[in-house]
Amino acid sequence: MKKSILLAVLCLCCVFPHSVRAGAPPLDMEGLTAQMDELKALVVDLEAMVRSQQARLEDLEQANRALREGSVGPQVVLASPAPERAPVTAPGLSAFNPEIGMLADVTANLSQSRADTEGNDKLSVRELELIIGHDVDPYSRFDSTITFSDFEDVALEEAYITHWGLPLDLKGRLGRIRPKIGKASSVHRDQLDTVDEPLVVQSYLGVEGLYRTAAELSYFLPLPWERVTHEVTAGVMEGGIGEDGTLFGSTRRRPSLYTHLKNFVDFSDLTNLELGFTHLTGSKDADEHFEVNAVGFDATLVHYFTPQNKLKLQSELYLQNRDETDAGLDDNPWGLYALADYRLSPRFGIGGRFDFVEPVDNAVENPRDEDVAWNGYLTFYQSEFARWRAQYQHLEEADGGNDDKVFLQGTVAIGVHKHQLQ
Amino acid sequence: MKHFFAVLGALWALHFSAGAVKAETIRVVATLSTFADLVEKIGGEDVEVSFVAPPRFNPHFIEPRPGDVLKVRRADLFVHAGLDLEPWRYPLVDAAGKSELRPGGQRELDLSQGVRLLEVPAQVPTRAAGDIHIYGNPHYWLIPDNVRVMAVAIAEKLSEVDPVHSEAYQGRLRAFLDELDRRVEKWRQDAQGIRGKEAVAYHNDLVYLAEFLGLRVAQYLEPKPGIPPTPRQIQFLEGYIAERGIGAILQASFYPRGSSDSLARKTGAEVVLLCQNVGERPECGDYFALMDYNLSQLTSHFR
Repeated sequence: MKKSILLAVLCLCCVFPHSVRAGAPPLDMEGLTAQMDELKALVVDLEAMVRSQQARLEDLEQANRALREGSVGPQVVLASPAPERAPVTAPGLSAFNPEIGMLADVTANLSQSRADTEGNDKLSVRELELIIGHDVDPYSRFDSTITFSDFEDVALEEAYITHWGLPLDLKGRLGRIRPKIGKASSVHRDQLDTVDEPLVVQSYLGVEGLYRTAAELSYFLPLPWERVTHEVTAGVMEGGIGEDGTLFGSTRRRPSLYTHLKNFVDFSDLTNLELGFTHLTGSKDADEHFEVNAVGFDATLVHYFTPQNKLKLQSELYLQNRDETDAGLDDNPWGLYALADYRLSPRFGIGGRFDFVEPVDNAVENPRDEDVAWNGYLTFYQSEFARWRAQYQHLEEADGGNDDKVFLQGTVAIGVHKHQLQ
Repeated sequence: MKHFFAVLGALWALHFSAGAVKAETIRVVATLSTFADLVEKIGGEDVEVSFVAPPRFNPHFIEPRPGDVLKVRRADLFVHAGLDLEPWRYPLVDAAGKSELRPGGQRELDLSQGVRLLEVPAQVPTRAAGDIHIYGNPHYWLIPDNVRVMAVAIAEKLSEVDPVHSEAYQGRLRAFLDELDRRVEKWRQDAQGIRGKEAVAYHNDLVYLAEFLGLRVAQYLEPKPGIPPTPRQIQFLEGYIAERGIGAILQASFYPRGSSDSLARKTGAEVVLLCQNVGERPECGDYFALMDYNLSQLTSHFR
């Protein structure tokens, strides 16, 4: 023991004087300890990283082995990356709740007309749509639209079942629907390019277009060409017509029939053309005769100059065939509109619409045979869910009156809101 | 009446003759061109594949056409991104009217199953945050690890739908994964000069590519997802770019160039166009070419 202590003292004596002689600064033990701690932490981190990479490598090698052995399932690879995915909320039974959306259409309308009709010279919630829908089962889906307004009663605009998987690949709709008639009447107001419906649609089918209780079948013609498609739709709907429409009478008891043929041509990814033909037949009163017939033609050309700049040209024409000889009215009133819409940028769009319509009940003594309107509009797309539109309309009515209107419209959507393809 | 039945009979015959066109191959319709490319690589000559969204367009905002409805209706398999990338696919499948192609059906493939998702919201999302994705960022194919998962899922589904050619699908899958491994090695080497660098982007659709390359992208021209650039955001980015010395503004080619060009002029940064989908630019002919192109664009900028 004594020898060991002596040896240690001698070693210290040998080492210590050397360091003093070299003139080196005294050791900063605290600094060295801190550096040592940092290095230890770094080594621990690096070891963890290596372990992690090793585990990942082993997972990938295992997946590769399984692949080469031909017995791989997605789960083998799934195990390797640590998925960050987690449901935002536990789905539970709430997954079966229907999709619910609301769409508000707030419109200001400044008019020279003295009539106290809906919306004139006031700001109004023209429509508040409550949209509810969900799959019923693997074969069918239910959709409904309930409309509230500050100048109308609550209305059931749509409530229908879509059924697919019918024989011959037919698709059926049953319930209260917007029947497939032309273009403007068969879409919701928020899908229109203008604040109001074209005059010919308002005059013949109803201010908001036509929605009736109906049974409808549609079918794609199985023709071989790829770029051209043809879809036939036919339906039987309750009698009557939309609000203020004049094509048929108001009796709901006698059904009306309609057919529509849609022809669609894809010229390229950038350009397409749709040509449609519609036939309607019904009655102007309570009898059982289909004495009123109407045919409609629609054409829509869409061209994308760039992914953001789109030009749409659309026109619809309706021609009636009815017997009004006794009343001294025109047997073949007709009307059309022509619309041009250009999306300038993601935020702005402009457009114009020309309207021409011969009223069904135009009195002989009226100075004009038709209503004519010129419209121009500017649309600002605030986001995907909010849009603002200003529209000017100059209207020359068959009864001799003129009217200049300015519409300001805000449309917002919340919740789930999806449209059928057009 | 005779004519009526004659027409009906002709339609019936046409209907069944159209169905009989189905030969050895199976018809696959994908929502995006990138998915169609992966299906083609694994399906090879045993599949006839097409896609719905033209790659030159923003995949969020597609208006499917009647021809697309007919394609989906005739499809043996419908491949899509799942999540909320393509909100238009629901009305498309509704219009096609085949229950087996609908969500959960036997002939649909949701490619998001099993991939690693980034930016999954930690809280219940709100539209006040813009057009955000409620399940996480859905542009997940721009990182090769996820493509591996997707390729395996495609091979499995093709084998399930068409078991006769299962061996061929598995063989092509192995070849694809081998090629992917080789490419990934090269891409990682090429990306050495990019790691740790920072860029700004038009839309938050490059998060997966950025992670793969080690690129930092934290600010966007869109002030919030889906909201077009505002003057205030551009002004903010001018300061941000100057402060951090950023030289690149990244965007897919289908976004408008105006705001990016304006910002580039004001800051001296360069607009770098990247491909998000196969076929978006001529140089991005398939998935490998797409990644090659994106890498070359970025490496030439950051060199």
